Amino acid sequence: MTDTLYYQPKSVDEALQIKAELGAEGTFLAGGTDVVVGIRKGKLKVARTIDLSQVPGLDGIRRHDGFLEIGAMTTHKALEQHDVPAALAQSCETVGGPQIRYLGTVGGQIGTASPAGDVSVALIALKADVELRSAARGTRRLPLDEVFVGPGKTVIADDEMVTRVFVPLGRRSDFYKIGKRDAVAISLVMAAASVGPAGDVAIAIGCVAPVPLRIKRAEALLDARGLSDEAVDEAATIAREDCSPISDHRGGADYRRAMAGTLTKRLLSRLREVTPVKAKPAESSAEVA
Amino acid sequence: MSSGPPIRRRPTGPVRPGQQPQVNVIGRSIRRFDGKGKVTGETPFGGDLAGPEAYTALVIRSPHPHCEIEDVELAAARAIPGVVAIFTGDDIGGTNRHGLIRRDQEVFSRRARFMGDCLGLIVAATPKIAQRALEAVKVSYKELPIVATMDDALAEGSYPLHETGNVLSTELIRRGDADSALAESDVVVNTETRTQCVDHAFLDREAGMAYMEDGVVTIYASGQWIHEERRLVALALGLPQERVRIIQPATGGAFGGREDISIQIYLGLAALKLDHPVRIEYTREESMIARHKRHPIRIEYTLGATREGVLTAAKVRILSDEGAYASTGPAVLRKAVSHCTGPYRVPNIHADGVAVFTNNNPTGAMRGFGACQLAIAYESAIVELSRVLKIDVVELKRINLLDDGEGVTTDQKIPVVGVRDCMEAALRRIGWDKRSYETPAPHLRRGYGVSTICFGVGYGDGFPDASRARVRMADDGVVEVFTGGVDFGQGLHSLAAQIAAKELGVDPLAVRVVASDTHRTPESGSSSATRQTVFTGNAVRLAASEVAGQLLDVAAAYTGLHWDDLELRGNAIAAKHDIAGHEDRTVVLPLRQAVRLGRERGYALDVESCFKPRTVAKQKGTGKSPRAFITYMFASHVAEVLVDIETGEVKVARIVAAHDVGKAINPQQVEGQIEGGVVQGLGMALMEEVVSEGGFMKNASFTDYIIPTIVDTPTIEALVIERDDPEGPYGARGVGEPGLIGTPPAILGAIADAIGTQVHETPANAERVWKAIKRSERAGDGASA
Ligand SMILES: Cc1cc2nc3c(=O)[nH]c(=O)nc-3n(C[C@H](O)[C@H](O)[C@H](O)COP(=O)(O)OP(=O)(O)OC[C@H]3O[C@@H](n4cnc5c(N)ncnc54)[C@H](O)[C@@H]3O)c2cc1C
Repeated sequence: MTDTLYYQPKSVDEALQIKAELGAEGTFLAGGTDVVVGIRKGKLKVARTIDLSQVPGLDGIRRHDGFLEIGAMTTHKALEQHDVPAALAQSCETVGGPQIRYLGTVGGQIGTASPAGDVSVALIALKADVELRSAARGTRRLPLDEVFVGPGKTVIADDEMVTRVFVPLGRRSDFYKIGKRDAVAISLVMAAASVGPAGDVAIAIGCVAPVPLRIKRAEALLDARGLSDEAVDEAATIAREDCSPISDHRGGADYRRAMAGTLTKRLLSRLREVTPVKAKPAESSAEVA
Repeated sequence: MSSGPPIRRRPTGPVRPGQQPQVNVIGRSIRRFDGKGKVTGETPFGGDLAGPEAYTALVIRSPHPHCEIEDVELAAARAIPGVVAIFTGDDIGGTNRHGLIRRDQEVFSRRARFMGDCLGLIVAATPKIAQRALEAVKVSYKELPIVATMDDALAEGSYPLHETGNVLSTELIRRGDADSALAESDVVVNTETRTQCVDHAFLDREAGMAYMEDGVVTIYASGQWIHEERRLVALALGLPQERVRIIQPATGGAFGGREDISIQIYLGLAALKLDHPVRIEYTREESMIARHKRHPIRIEYTLGATREGVLTAAKVRILSDEGAYASTGPAVLRKAVSHCTGPYRVPNIHADGVAVFTNNNPTGAMRGFGACQLAIAYESAIVELSRVLKIDVVELKRINLLDDGEGVTTDQKIPVVGVRDCMEAALRRIGWDKRSYETPAPHLRRGYGVSTICFGVGYGDGFPDASRARVRMADDGVVEVFTGGVDFGQGLHSLAAQIAAKELGVDPLAVRVVASDTHRTPESGSSSATRQTVFTGNAVRLAASEVAGQLLDVAAAYTGLHWDDLELRGNAIAAKHDIAGHEDRTVVLPLRQAVRLGRERGYALDVESCFKPRTVAKQKGTGKSPRAFITYMFASHVAEVLVDIETGEVKVARIVAAHDVGKAINPQQVEGQIEGGVVQGLGMALMEEVVSEGGFMKNASFTDYIIPTIVDTPTIEALVIERDDPEGPYGARGVGEPGLIGTPPAILGAIADAIGTQVHETPANAERVWKAIKRSERAGDGASA
């Protein structure tokens, strides 16, 4: 093993080569908004850093073959400014503040595997896939919700990295976040939902389980019965039942569980309408008064 | 109702340097002379002062909220190269104690009562080495039972945190016969309000440096009352006061959070022992763990009224979590009890307050101390009464608000009570009579809340509260003002310059202010309790007008004119009006020349004045006082909110804040104070909360301790009402704290208006609002989704 502590690969292959050599010893650095904070707080021990900022071809957004292909190094800001599905745009807009959005990336969001990852929840609800790549085995592609296994834990192997995310086009979607304030706030609960061209539904909820939670039982029910009032109510009940929130200094489990249902219902009801409305309450009504 | 006193119009614009000095300097938004350096980043703050040669000091803190320290093993840490010294209680020469009211906190603790208690001080060549040394320190300790809550503290057989037990102090008010009056009242409402623990969250963490200069321990650190800090440092270290010098660097906020000693004694000890420059800079986490907080207070309120809505009596029980040490607790409790009925006419009052020790952070001064928690409680009782009586809350206020000359809670008669003027002005501005309840979606509800509050200015209650200031004409004709009062951003130093400029007829921006240095400036008391505009403002005015008098004498002798026909204007002494031989109000003597002449004739042109008004201690047995405070501030806020009744989220759309400041000496500064108070009050109302479990703080960082951002800030309209105060300089009354105090009750009232039920616990975050809605749905009233 070398003495090098910091690597700056110039290509994906080189990055993967280094990662394969270092294994768990090597930590990818994307925007650094989680890594650097983790190091500073002493929560994250980083032996060796592999900086991805100089790797060409890892960022960018393009439409191809019915999918939006998003490079792992694409920032939240870039997504927010691009024509992307509503839930994805809205989730990106709520990440941190502008400084964080200019740095934070989709790859980093997935790598962090936080149950409070706003963008992860939106992507899961959009039925997105992730492309993982290693020097030894090449690429594999799997649904994003199958990547997360626990807080900070994923199925990404020690020699793998996230290269791209594939978001199917043509789904109507919506997102809603409850935080303690309107910017730079870790979600208390948040959810996203989408409806495909064929009427198939996907729902994901954040902060109510060890991973961003996809509510598959509710999806199956809605796929069978459509978005009728009763079906939506039942889906909300399932969302409440299927989550396993904790209480912490941000909020109580009861509230989170209740909101899992409330947001499920709210998002599904909105998706029934043709144009999804903006999620947040309207701003000042100074004019109205 | 009269149409009220004039609301001041915005001034046409700030006075710029080089512009002709204004005859009327008072009431103009003079530009702050410290503004540019702060905006451009040129101004150094406490953490920017030390050079690279300075050592770094780091505090060893308690590993447990309540423990007997058995041993602090330092050998391993001392052995690390670059570790200069590690100090403990054995090294301190004086009392090893501090505390603002009681000296009950050890500098180096042998028994820790909260997580911030200091066990020792590491001094090392660099911050990294200091950190390594800290990690090498081993503390062995015996855990003591944790007193986590007020109920724990009061429980039978609770573990005593201090020799005197777990009750720090009690307070009461007895006026009339509240029990009988309640029994005879047509309606009686009961509420229980719980306010939270709040952090000051100022941006500029505790940071500073110290060194020895000619045997004097010279400490640069930000506090709120440098002369008191010097006393405390001298006592703790066992030095005469002359050997301690405290200088306040530029300071980024205080809000009461710098009233207790923070780093001053540590810096002084290390510099003294090592005869070498030393720096300290807390991290945000350390700053939050070490610092005192706002008192969480539980208030049981019983309020009686006639059927017509006339208040008859209030019975109030107040329980305050003091945390581990007294800090300013007894004064905060007195403030709470003495403000328990706010600006209302309540003939019968029976109030009791108890402050108890726990193993939480000590609680002490914070903007609005005691008065702000009680404002939440009495306004909540008024809202409840309005609901029960079915009388609109504004009407209920109109019936019961104090008028000029009537008595507040302590029965002190207040000559000028501007609260009605404030409320009516705020209601007019918001368009109260035409307010709309329309919302963009069915799950959103709109609501409006009105608060009316009061606040006693200064320390009061017979405390020897004084400000001194010195004004001097320098030989170059420049006016110099010396004040020990600290400016942590509120603008005191600009204000002092403005007042001196007014009295001496010069450009305020040309006044030289020498401030906040215990070796060079007279004691101006604490920058707290909304007192500096009135106290230091008056002291500066007295000193400056005496210097002005001397200058007029000089000019009179020189010209042969009567001094009463002369005035100071435009850097000169001039005729006040047309006098024979001096038509067109001509200049008779330029200021610089007058100074030279004066010096030749033996005039000092150098005056120190003191403003020390009398207040009267509370009467034993009743808590009443004919003059508890020198004056009272009144204010009224109206808040408009949108509540999502499915999630409990609250968005504040607009706040109108009307304040009777007496006279706005610098209107822009007044508006700034009100706006800042509103934002901080919004944080308290909706989101801020120090969460502790068993004495361990759970959210000691800005990731987890949530304060409002610009996105959360509503439209704020500050209305400045000016009804002259008989005692204040130019009629000014002060403005620092009421902007915060008025905000939470207005927002909580607006939430209640929107959802039809009250939230009795702050912060009213989404979860609490949602729970209140669910409770009232179950009870069968209030909002339904
Ligand atoms: C003040 C602040 C506010 C925040 N607010 C929010 C918020 O509101 N919502 C939210 O969801 N998050 C928030 N975050 C968290 C963070 O910004 C996001 O998770 C962001 O997406 C992380 O991206 P990054 O590029 O900075 O990741 P980094 O910190 O660089 O990396 C994060 C992790 O992912 C790994 N990684 C990075 N790239 C790859 C890759 N290509 N393949 C495999 N692994 C990879 C890293 O090794 C590391 O383990 C906030 C953070 C801060 C500091």
